[in-house]
Amino acid sequence: MEHIALATGFLLILIGLYGALTQRDILRMIVAFTIANTGVNLVLVAVGYIRGRSAPIINDNLPAAEATARMIDPLPQALVLTAIVIGVGITALMLAYAYKLYILRGSLDISKIKELKW
Amino acid sequence: MVDALAIIYLTLGTAFLLGLLRDEWRILAYGITLLSLAMVSGIASTWVWHLADNPAESVEIMTAGASPPFAINLRMGLAEAAALMLATLTGLASTIFLKDTLLRLGRRAMAVLLVFIMAICGIILTRDIFNLFVFFELVVIATAGLVLLSHNERSLGAGFKYLMASQVVSILLLVGIIFNYHVSGSLNIDDMAGMSDMLIQTTPLAFFLLFIALIVELKPFPANGWALDIYESAHPAFSAILSAAAGTASLFAVDKVLAIGGDSWLPVATGIGVLSFIGANLFALAQTSDRRLLGYSSVAQIGLILAIIGQRDILGDSYWLIAGGVLLAHAVGKAGLFWLSGLIAERELTAWTALRDRPLLLFAFISFIALLIGLPPFPGFYAKWELIHLLAGADRIALIVLILFGALLETAYLFRWFGLILKHDEVAEKAPCPIQKVVVIYSAVVAAWSLAYLWGELSVFGNLMHAIPLLFALLFLPLEGLPARIKNVLAIGGLVTWFILQYPLYDPLQLIFGAIILPGGALILLASFHNQGRRIGFYPAALWMFAGLSMLIVAEDSFTFFAAWESLTIGSYFLILRGKHSQPHAQSYILFSLGGAFLMLLGFALASAGNPLFPLESLTTVAEDVAPWVFILLALGMMTKTAAIGVHIWLPGAHAEAETDVSPLLSGILLKAGLFGLFILLIYMGRQQLYGIDLTHVLLWVGAISALLGNLMAIYQEDAKRLLAYSSIAQMGYALFGLALMNHLGWLMALMFVVNHYIYKSMLFLSVGGVAKRTGTKEMYRMGGLITLMPLSFIAVLIGIIAVSGVPPLSGFGGRWIFYNAIMSAEYRLPMVIIFLAGPIAFLYLFRLIHTIFLGQLKDEHRKLKEAPFWIILPQMIYVACLMVFALAPGLALRHVDAYIDNFFPRNGLNWEGLTITSTYGYWSPVSIMIVVGVIFATLFAWLVFVNRRAQKVKQFNIVFAAERPYRPETTHFAWNFFAPYRKALGFMTQPLVTRFWATVAESLHTSAELFRRLYTGDGQTYAIQLLGFVVAVYLLSSGVFYGV
Amino acid sequence: MGFEWIKIPYSLLTLFIVVNYGLLLNALIAKIAARVGRRHGIPIWQNYVDMIKNYGLRTSITHGVMFYMGPVFRLSGGVGLLLFVPTIYGSVMFSNLSFAGDLILALYFVFFGTLGMALGAGESGHPYAAIGVSRGLAQVTAAELPFALAVFAVALQYETLSVTEIVAAQQGSYLNWTLFTNPFAVAAAMLSFLGSMMRPPFDVVLAPQEIPIGPPTEYHSSYLALMQTNRAIFPIAKMVVYMNLFFGGAVSWPIFFVKIFLIYMVSVLVGVVFPRFHVEHSVRWFLIWAVPLGVIAVAIV
Repeated sequence: MEHIALATGFLLILIGLYGALTQRDILRMIVAFTIANTGVNLVLVAVGYIRGRSAPIINDNLPAAEATARMIDPLPQALVLTAIVIGVGITALMLAYAYKLYILRGSLDISKIKELKW
Repeated sequence: MVDALAIIYLTLGTAFLLGLLRDEWRILAYGITLLSLAMVSGIASTWVWHLADNPAESVEIMTAGASPPFAINLRMGLAEAAALMLATLTGLASTIFLKDTLLRLGRRAMAVLLVFIMAICGIILTRDIFNLFVFFELVVIATAGLVLLSHNERSLGAGFKYLMASQVVSILLLVGIIFNYHVSGSLNIDDMAGMSDMLIQTTPLAFFLLFIALIVELKPFPANGWALDIYESAHPAFSAILSAAAGTASLFAVDKVLAIGGDSWLPVATGIGVLSFIGANLFALAQTSDRRLLGYSSVAQIGLILAIIGQRDILGDSYWLIAGGVLLAHAVGKAGLFWLSGLIAERELTAWTALRDRPLLLFAFISFIALLIGLPPFPGFYAKWELIHLLAGADRIALIVLILFGALLETAYLFRWFGLILKHDEVAEKAPCPIQKVVVIYSAVVAAWSLAYLWGELSVFGNLMHAIPLLFALLFLPLEGLPARIKNVLAIGGLVTWFILQYPLYDPLQLIFGAIILPGGALILLASFHNQGRRIGFYPAALWMFAGLSMLIVAEDSFTFFAAWESLTIGSYFLILRGKHSQPHAQSYILFSLGGAFLMLLGFALASAGNPLFPLESLTTVAEDVAPWVFILLALGMMTKTAAIGVHIWLPGAHAEAETDVSPLLSGILLKAGLFGLFILLIYMGRQQLYGIDLTHVLLWVGAISALLGNLMAIYQEDAKRLLAYSSIAQMGYALFGLALMNHLGWLMALMFVVNHYIYKSMLFLSVGGVAKRTGTKEMYRMGGLITLMPLSFIAVLIGIIAVSGVPPLSGFGGRWIFYNAIMSAEYRLPMVIIFLAGPIAFLYLFRLIHTIFLGQLKDEHRKLKEAPFWIILPQMIYVACLMVFALAPGLALRHVDAYIDNFFPRNGLNWEGLTITSTYGYWSPVSIMIVVGVIFATLFAWLVFVNRRAQKVKQFNIVFAAERPYRPETTHFAWNFFAPYRKALGFMTQPLVTRFWATVAESLHTSAELFRRLYTGDGQTYAIQLLGFVVAVYLLSSGVFYGV
Repeated sequence: MGFEWIKIPYSLLTLFIVVNYGLLLNALIAKIAARVGRRHGIPIWQNYVDMIKNYGLRTSITHGVMFYMGPVFRLSGGVGLLLFVPTIYGSVMFSNLSFAGDLILALYFVFFGTLGMALGAGESGHPYAAIGVSRGLAQVTAAELPFALAVFAVALQYETLSVTEIVAAQQGSYLNWTLFTNPFAVAAAMLSFLGSMMRPPFDVVLAPQEIPIGPPTEYHSSYLALMQTNRAIFPIAKMVVYMNLFFGGAVSWPIFFVKIFLIYMVSVLVGVVFPRFHVEHSVRWFLIWAVPLGVIAVAIV
């Protein structure tokens, strides 16, 4: 099960990167990066998953005393949350760039932004 | 002590607070921003003070009431504190610099700036690997946010490319982090470092991803197109923070992570670092945009520091001093230059000519580039010295060569830039200089010099800023406002006083050189009284050179020797650059000199087997297997100064294009530094064999060929000063030859050349300079018949050429006589043939010099010329007197030296009893010769006057004269191309092969830079692909490391 | 200083003998060369007549101080060279002023006159003078090289730079002469000798047949007379050096006269046979033919 999740995660990363590197349209690139980010998050969660244990939420079913033995590692999940937040921030920033670039140039073609080089 | 976390929460809190303010209250917002940055700078500074005194008291800061791995922890040690101080102060200074921009952009930009600084501080402090990721993402967001807020169309594109690259990096980083966590069960760097072996063995790829992601954050060459675009297009004050503070933080991150990887990953870091250092410096050669150039330079410098980090296994206790020295020098220098670029209107390098009339800003510029290159007395100098020695101690010679090569490339473009500023034809428009920007730049200058002082104090070699000669030179900086004549009196007084103070401490060899350098220099400076006005820049440079020279001759250990060598090189570079058309020549001078100095550095490092404190006399005991290499390196280094053939091409232009009173300083005095070095080298190392070849024999050939080709090239010159300059190459060849003879008289001859060459070459340069001042040209064929108008100059040149050519009865003959006696007992005979050929050729150019300038037909436009200015004539007349005295009584100076040389070669000394000087083979009586020649001459002259007493003076054209005047005036002048038959016969020997060789080297470097920098196509996707390609390449190349092969 | 004043009259005596011998020898050589060309040639006393005439001429101009002093330099060079070298071996009377310096002094003093002359000629402002100087200097640098090598070889051979000692080492038999003990050095020196005697094929400096070219172009009357005096002294002084170094010196005046004449004849014999070289040709000629001989001489000593 976790191997499937892990493989899916890496597949998403590769799909995302491929898209980001081949698509000329900035919006499509942003979407591709989002896919890649999702893949990363999936990998993170999959690595933290331990077969047969419950979610790391301490309640009646999972008293604090038994928690370390019965629940999965909570830390990757916390990391994923942070990563998602940061990912959202960066995606928002990229979209803001896309908007401004479109306003200024009337085009979203990345291959036309080349005046700085060498 | 204030809690170190205050740095984080103060900045973050202020950023949130700004969000609460009304958008109109911009000045208030700006004030709050400044205040908070000032406070965090203050906190960081107090930590630095505190930890500097108590280095053991570094603090672990726990958060969330738990210890790692259950909570994030941070660490505040001395290195962290210093980095924080650097980051916060850079932030503060940039915020001051950005005043107008921030007030225009409003509180949001200020908040983002604060977050930016906070994130940088976080990277430096944190010991948690995921926390590191978060701070890095914050840096990315803040950077992109600031670029977005700046509303600059060019930088928008750059910002987007930057975001793309960051996305790729963050994917690598996150995947790396989670797998490392999976294996180690901790996010704490120190925990992971504890499990280093296990981590590397089970999942090497996980560590690789982590490592490479952080490496890419350093913007390594060639995966850095996006970063260069940011450097080029962002506001310079922002680039300053990015280069100085964010660069520092990223280096800290790499340093921390390498603790996990262990020593086996260090070579990978070194490899990437060196590649960045050389590649970025190479590409920078071809840059014309200032900020992009600074971007390349940043990449290069950070690469160098990465390489140093990669060497920390052998650096030991010096690691922080070396890495810190280079890092701080880079940070202050680069931030200073970025800020300075904010005062320049256009983005071309030539636009920096606007600085030309602003001596203070120019001084700032010089300080910054000296800081970057690591010239004495700046921290990079000490760091470079120690680094190279430690590397040599660990036998990492290839790395040394690569680092020094990169440093030379860096020198090339930075000094070319400086040369452009001073010498480019058109002066750019000045941009306005608001007070706050200027203050920021000056505070960087203060920081630069404070660091110089601090590193001097920290080093074990003694503080260069305590050396009195260097301080004396620095003293002239605040005095620049005074008239040149007052400064000249001070300078002459200083030189003479220092000589009187030092005189009792000199041994005879030092005394000869000391006398030429100090009172000799004062004598030449008499000519400087001719200059009116303030002559800004001349005295600090000249005295810096003198300081270097006077420290050189008393140096007892290799460090002092090298520091003095570099000081005199820099001082003289600034002097040379003062000439009207001297930019390219000064450029080749500094490149050859520093290249030579680097060889010397390598030589000393090899000789001492890595011990940075190395007394010169230990050169006698260098291990046999390295000794010949040490000899070659040191000799090559010194021969770049004496302009031996092969490395001579800088000399003619440098000497010829310099100002009237600078040429004699360079030729008469500076060249002797190389000879002194060779003396020291031969005294301590003596003969060395390499594959059975006696290296002094090689020197013999080099000296002989220099003498021959120098003379040959001199006879074809049309420019009088160039003629003299080529003649110097030949004369130094003679001296080198004498030294390489390795016998008593050979050395005596070399010393005699030292004295003679100083006297007559200084005199001739002054005479020719004086004539050139009056006629307005240095082309000899444009002059003629000046003997009646400038009789004193004529007398000086006449005496000078008689002395140079060695015709009795003047002192040059003594040199020749000793020379013949010296070669009588030499072991090798074939090089003598070359020297014999060279000898008479000197007559050709000497005669041409005097004939073409002073004899022949006076030119119409020169009919009303006056004698050269008094102050230029005065030293010449003193030299004439010196030559006469030295001709009559060479024993005054030489017999002591002769006795001194007995220490090394007890046999074949001269006998100085009575008036006749005798050697094993012959004899020579200067006084008798003078009297005999004088009497014969006087008698015959009286006889001629008697029979010819009615001779009438006739007018200029009263000669048998035919032919018409062709179109090109020089072709009617026979003295133009005077020795044409000679060129037909022997011209093949003076083909500019060496010049062509070096031009080809420079050309191919530039062409390859021009070609390969097209790698940076400007396409964001290409950049991202390059980034991934780089990651894959490093993976493949370093796979040996993590599979333990 | 223990200077013996009697050396002055002795030296003057040497000078007197050499001047007269030189004037006669020059005329004799001119006559021989003329006879080879089927001409009658000048009378043997012609040089005396010329000199007296020139000293007596009343037309006299000067172009300036250096011009005036040029001939003085020239003659001082000739006289000095003669007097710095002992003329007759073993004779205190004719050891002249050789106490002042050794062989090296003689070698370098040659240039004293050349330099002064060239400077004087330069001030005349006449282009032909400058042309002559340029050619002369260019040629002499190449011509002197084999000689310098030969001298070095000889000095190495006898391990001394003192002319007297070099001559002393060649006494006893003519087989002790350097000519036989070191033939390469002598060969090199004799080729160099051709170049310094201003005779064909190396006489383009003065180009005596076509136009009055060369340093003396503007010189006349008593200046010219001074230079003519030098022409009598200087070649002899130079040949004295050759004689001492290579041909065993002379122990008496008759031997001196014979040896000098024979040495002079070498250049005459070559001169009447060969046409004239360009300067660039002669520079290369010396480097290709004469210098290797000198190098061999130095190498095998």
